[in-house]
Amino acid sequence: MIYFDNAATSWPKPPSVAAAVQEQLAQAGGNPGRSGHRLSIAAARLVEEAREALACLFQVEDPSRIAFAPNATHALNLALYALLRPGDRVVTTSMEHNAVMRPLRHLETRGVGVSCVRCETDGSIDLGAVEEALRPGARLLVTTHASNVTGTIMPIGALAALAPRYGARVVVDAAQTAGASPIEVEALGVDVLAFTGHKGLFGPTGTGGLYVRQGVDLQPLVRGGTGSDSAREIQPDFMPDALESGTINVTGIAGLGAGVQFLDDVGIEAVRAHECALAVRFIAGVGAVPGVVVHGPADPASRCGIVSFTVSGASPSEVGLLLDEQFGILARTGLHCAPAAHRTIGTFPDGTIRFSFGWFNTAGEVDTAVGAVREIAAWSARKRPDIQWTV
Amino acid sequence: MDGLISFFASHHAIRAEVVLKRHAHAARLVPGPRELSPNCGVALRFEYARRDEVLALLARHRVRIDGVHVYEPRTDDWTAGLARR
Repeated sequence: MIYFDNAATSWPKPPSVAAAVQEQLAQAGGNPGRSGHRLSIAAARLVEEAREALACLFQVEDPSRIAFAPNATHALNLALYALLRPGDRVVTTSMEHNAVMRPLRHLETRGVGVSCVRCETDGSIDLGAVEEALRPGARLLVTTHASNVTGTIMPIGALAALAPRYGARVVVDAAQTAGASPIEVEALGVDVLAFTGHKGLFGPTGTGGLYVRQGVDLQPLVRGGTGSDSAREIQPDFMPDALESGTINVTGIAGLGAGVQFLDDVGIEAVRAHECALAVRFIAGVGAVPGVVVHGPADPASRCGIVSFTVSGASPSEVGLLLDEQFGILARTGLHCAPAAHRTIGTFPDGTIRFSFGWFNTAGEVDTAVGAVREIAAWSARKRPDIQWTV
Repeated sequence: MDGLISFFASHHAIRAEVVLKRHAHAARLVPGPRELSPNCGVALRFEYARRDEVLALLARHRVRIDGVHVYEPRTDDWTAGLARR
């Protein structure tokens, strides 16, 4: 079996992640920040170690500026609903995932103006177009760091420099890049960075969070027990407790901490180089196959380890089925929860086949996949293209 | 299997497979063909000849479905295609 769906969730995880989960359940099973006995302290220690490891990864000086959340979607919802009010304008890109688009379309019904900057067909963004969209004034600029469809990397440094000139804060969706690309979030000047734990950071599902820049106060989406300030009936206003109500996912975060440690051991630059090399190898391999079209930027420096492609005459779901059943290659097909991105690159409504490479993939697996795609393209070319299925 | 049921969410598809298999029906989860349904990622193949029985069973177990289709994907000839070459 060949797993090329790391953009959905990374697999396999390093063995140390499973070990950390097991160890937490067995040895550190208290409720962190609540009881104060040894098991509670052991659990709290695991959570704070993970927070510190993340602060180190994102080059954040004060770890308390990082709050945990169940995933990047929760983190993004928190940021968007906290920062946008009726009458505000928000600028975003046409490459966004529904984790950004759906909250924004909902906020639009509540009187928030949404300006969506149309990207190029390779997913790249024109800074001039962003500036035009910001010019009338905007409360917020929200952008993905890398498209989950094409792998196109957005120039978040330039965007974060541009936005404040027009009074806008900057929220970055780093679901695809946290752990896959170095992000020095404070140096970049980003206000809020949302990340997920179960992709590039090798943690279990149900983990993630957000960095919030000092001086930016976000109202929580959820209020409740934090273990702190317990005599008062109002929510604490300090980070991270303000944004972390209810017992946190200690088990998952223990695994996430081990995942970030693994990443630190191998080196994030090495991960980026490996995943890019696999993407480049695959693109070169299928480049010579008639009927195969690769979407996204031509320049490898502008993409992460995600490659979307289509096969002439075959629907992405057919290709996905054949890859799985005949070749044991697991990929994600269709629209990838990003309809706007597919409209932008011209692949709506059928979508694409997406290969997303990870640290544990090999060049040999990529070569096998190139052979499989070649066979499927040849199969498709032999069929009548107008008959997709029989009824 | 020449029938296909599409669903609004994969939660329903997984439940439908469990129900059909428990009642000795042929059933197999496959990636949902976009030509038939824009919804969830998974669909369920079944024997179209037993359509009425299958739909009654799913209704009785309150499994919500999107649509029912006669469906024989052309990918079924893959093995035959390999043999021809």
